[in-house]
Amino acid sequence: MATVTTAAPRIGVPGALKHPVLRKLLLLALAAAILVPLANARWASGSWPAALTVDFSDQLTKASVWIIDNRDSHPLFVYFFGHISNAVVLSVRAVYLVLLAAGWAGVTAAASLVAWRVAGWRLAAGTGVALLACGFLGMWIPTMQTLALMVVAVLASVVVGALLGLAAGLSDRMDKILRPVLDTMQVLPAYAYLLPVVLVFGMGVPAAVLATVVYAAPPMARLTALGLRGADKEVLEAVESLGATARQRLLTARIPLASHELLLGLNQTIMMALSMAVIASVIGAGGLGDRVYQALSTVDVGAALAAGVPIVLLAVVLDRVTGAAGEGLGEEPRPNGRARWLFALAAAVAVAVTGRLVGRLDWPEAWTLNIAEPVNRAVDWMTDHLYSGVPVIGGTADWAAHFTTWVLDPVRDTLQWLPWWSLLLIVAALAWLIGTWRTALTAVLAMAAIGVLGVWTPALDTLSQVLAAVAVTLVLGFATGIAAARSDRVERLLRPVLDVFQTMPQFVYLIPVVALFGVGRAPAVAAAVVYALPAVVRITTQGLRQVDPAALESARSLGATPAQQLRQVQLPLARPALLLAVNQGVVLVLAVVIIGGLVGGGALGYDVVAGLAQGDLATGLVAGVAIVCLGLMLDRVTQPTERRAKKGA
Amino acid sequence: MSTTPTAPGTATAPGTATAPGTATTPRAAGTPGATDTPVFSVDGLWKVFGPKAHRVPADPELAGLTSAELRARTGCTAAVQDVSFDVRKGEVFVVMGLSGSGKSTLVRCLTRLIEPTAGTIAIDGEDVRAMDKTRLRELRRHRAAMVFQHFGLLPHRTVLDNVAYGLEIQGVGRAERRERAAQVVAKVGLEGMEHRRPGQLSGGQRQRVGLARALAVDPEVLLFDEPFSALDPLIRRDMQEEVVRLHREEGRTMVFITHDLSEALKLGDRIALMRDGRVVQLGTPEEIVGSPADDYVREFVRDVPREQVMTVRTAMRAASADESGDGPAVAPDATVSEAIEAVARTGAPARVMEGGRCLGVVDHERLLGVVAGTEHHDPGGAEHGVVAGAGKRKEVA
Repeated sequence: MATVTTAAPRIGVPGALKHPVLRKLLLLALAAAILVPLANARWASGSWPAALTVDFSDQLTKASVWIIDNRDSHPLFVYFFGHISNAVVLSVRAVYLVLLAAGWAGVTAAASLVAWRVAGWRLAAGTGVALLACGFLGMWIPTMQTLALMVVAVLASVVVGALLGLAAGLSDRMDKILRPVLDTMQVLPAYAYLLPVVLVFGMGVPAAVLATVVYAAPPMARLTALGLRGADKEVLEAVESLGATARQRLLTARIPLASHELLLGLNQTIMMALSMAVIASVIGAGGLGDRVYQALSTVDVGAALAAGVPIVLLAVVLDRVTGAAGEGLGEEPRPNGRARWLFALAAAVAVAVTGRLVGRLDWPEAWTLNIAEPVNRAVDWMTDHLYSGVPVIGGTADWAAHFTTWVLDPVRDTLQWLPWWSLLLIVAALAWLIGTWRTALTAVLAMAAIGVLGVWTPALDTLSQVLAAVAVTLVLGFATGIAAARSDRVERLLRPVLDVFQTMPQFVYLIPVVALFGVGRAPAVAAAVVYALPAVVRITTQGLRQVDPAALESARSLGATPAQQLRQVQLPLARPALLLAVNQGVVLVLAVVIIGGLVGGGALGYDVVAGLAQGDLATGLVAGVAIVCLGLMLDRVTQPTERRAKKGA
Repeated sequence: MSTTPTAPGTATAPGTATAPGTATTPRAAGTPGATDTPVFSVDGLWKVFGPKAHRVPADPELAGLTSAELRARTGCTAAVQDVSFDVRKGEVFVVMGLSGSGKSTLVRCLTRLIEPTAGTIAIDGEDVRAMDKTRLRELRRHRAAMVFQHFGLLPHRTVLDNVAYGLEIQGVGRAERRERAAQVVAKVGLEGMEHRRPGQLSGGQRQRVGLARALAVDPEVLLFDEPFSALDPLIRRDMQEEVVRLHREEGRTMVFITHDLSEALKLGDRIALMRDGRVVQLGTPEEIVGSPADDYVREFVRDVPREQVMTVRTAMRAASADESGDGPAVAPDATVSEAIEAVARTGAPARVMEGGRCLGVVDHERLLGVVAGTEHHDPGGAEHGVVAGAGKRKEVA
């Protein structure tokens, strides 16, 4: 088995056949040798053959027209979707009114006091400052709109997710059904969820909330199921040995044992909900996301930043407070906890009432700080001085242009020049090498579906951006990850940066890249790289650091140099983590490349936005489905088998 | 069939263990609560994992195979194969074997935490396998409580609430269960730690909590599944002594699973030695060490300090007329090592005295024979055939 790398056909072919990789490749080559000439003879074309596409736009247009016509009359809408829609609107409205009635002082006080009880005074102060900052930026009302939408969406997601998770955690059959669905939903870009809900509910708050729930419930469900299933077997056995009923077992053992996962699920659900609530501005969510969206569409970086900063602040505060709640779980309960909660409640009410009596419910105009103008001036200055013509290093716009002409264009052109069947073959080979024939089949079918839908060319454009961004991400991410794994100081410096970057919603990343690079495909790629980098760095670092110290020590004792240790021990042993990093990198990059359609990324992402903006749901839906297929294909091609269980990050 | 079911009140002495000199007697006095009713009576018990497990015990041909052959033939794993024994009231019954010998599966079958494949289990004469859910729950709640190797504590509860958990399951009110739990916590020596979480305790303390939780429901029998394997040697000894103490104070029946021979010898009134799912020998520690049933057992007990396990009752010979008059006196349950000390001190053979009567004597020759493992079981002693010691407490290191 030592020389299987030599591909030359030798007498010992049966021996070589024993190697699974070679066997798979040979089989595939055999299948290709038969199928390709056939396919090539019938549909000889570089791009996806027109004969193999099916035009769904007529049916989709008809369907969407039918839905629009019947939205107020058909019983399905009147008695089912109508009620859902009304309930969502009413509850969001109610929460919004409560927030407004509490006034800025009341909301800030209540949030800080909750943070104090849950996470200590430091985070309480941070929460207060963050909320006040939202006010100072003149974003109090949009912040409250986003918050109201979030509260409703998170509550619904948690209920839905916990119920699904309970089902999957307790029943093996449900787990078998739900797990692949939830896993797949987790890898799909947020954009894919927008169109279907718009089709049913139309643009507006209900659609935004439901899209958010669909996007944010899966992590809750997955982690609930994971927690219930991961419970210490011996504890459950002990509980059973004492004669507990099934109900007692669930309530006194399984759920409490899963509480860490449940809180982690809550944390993730909140973060995903925030991310989606911001993105959902393109389907009428309003609030902070809408401000960013409007500003970006006019390339008003200052205004986008003014709305983007509150989003980041909200994200960081929500993440830290829920995270701290999860960590504080196992500790001893402090004395008179109930009294302190009561005190917190009373204080919050007192502040709110005072605010009301003083008549200071709305954020005072005089206290706002207009950062849009100075920021725009700075951006203008950058445009003038940094975009191009900087001696020696060139300018940011030059870099973007170079990246587009030297990297993006060649990759895209190569992909589009390659015969369609060869792409399918490459996909099949990659997926099969890393997984089973099922994985390969799913990947190939997903890729073929893109062609059938008639969006082969734009999909390859998107794919080229993804590939370029993933390559950059992996090079930077692995290098940084290795550095952080080798030096504690680098890791200490990186950690807070990664923490912040990982909590920010995808949408926010578009703001700085537009400021730096203008619009186009290169900024979309840059945003994707920045978004995916933290996860890749983190997984790489963790993977390298978790390498068995004994193996490393034995290598050192044999006199291996640091480079040898890295190449021969750490990297091979950290292989699973590195593969996971690749997979996560691809998934995250795709999500942002799609959103990059908003800033000139074009391709599939643009089709979705354009479809929404022009009311041409057919185009948008087709693009949405293609995004799903692309996501599925990319995930399968990079996903090692038997990894499914671990994707909490 | 390595063991044969026997009537209650007789030791199940299989195979070669039924040699002359190892006949059975009622339990020696001194063990509290020893009576003739078996608490657990297990007969022909099988647990087979794998596809169509039920056919294995039913088919005499399959049932006769060894584990490896069975796995090759059917893909099934027989964890417990045709095991029979009685656990008498008030005794410490040790099931001992290496990992994979099926002992943990066996103890779980007793309360059907693992459903047995074939055979019968009776608790106080009641058929456990015939019990419905409610009755079984009743059994687990009140009659048999288990202590686990990795403690199985609920990490989110305090020590007190963990101990009270069994009572909570039974529906005992909060105040009462806490009061009862507090008493048990004190009994296992955890006073002052009632409000800690398991995560803040050491391994030994955690197992004390596990023990207390089992004791709190006041069960008829305590089941231990390798309770001290995960503990450091010193702490293990503490815990073993704790169990000895509890048994002496309360006389509760115990079934104790272990892979540690010295633990088995120290705690067990009787030991069932398991290998590959079968019981290869069942007897008192002295029988196991003194007359191993086969080469496996002999290999197993080879390094045991025999003088600390064997009693002078086994080692003695009939006393000549002049010997029965003087010399140091030792009890029949005394270990050979104690007799050696007495003989070495006085230089004369020691008399084995029971109730003022001289049963026999042990001299240098006899004692050295035990230590060297060359003693022979000639019926030299007047009452040599009587082996007691089932209920003795030995001080083995």
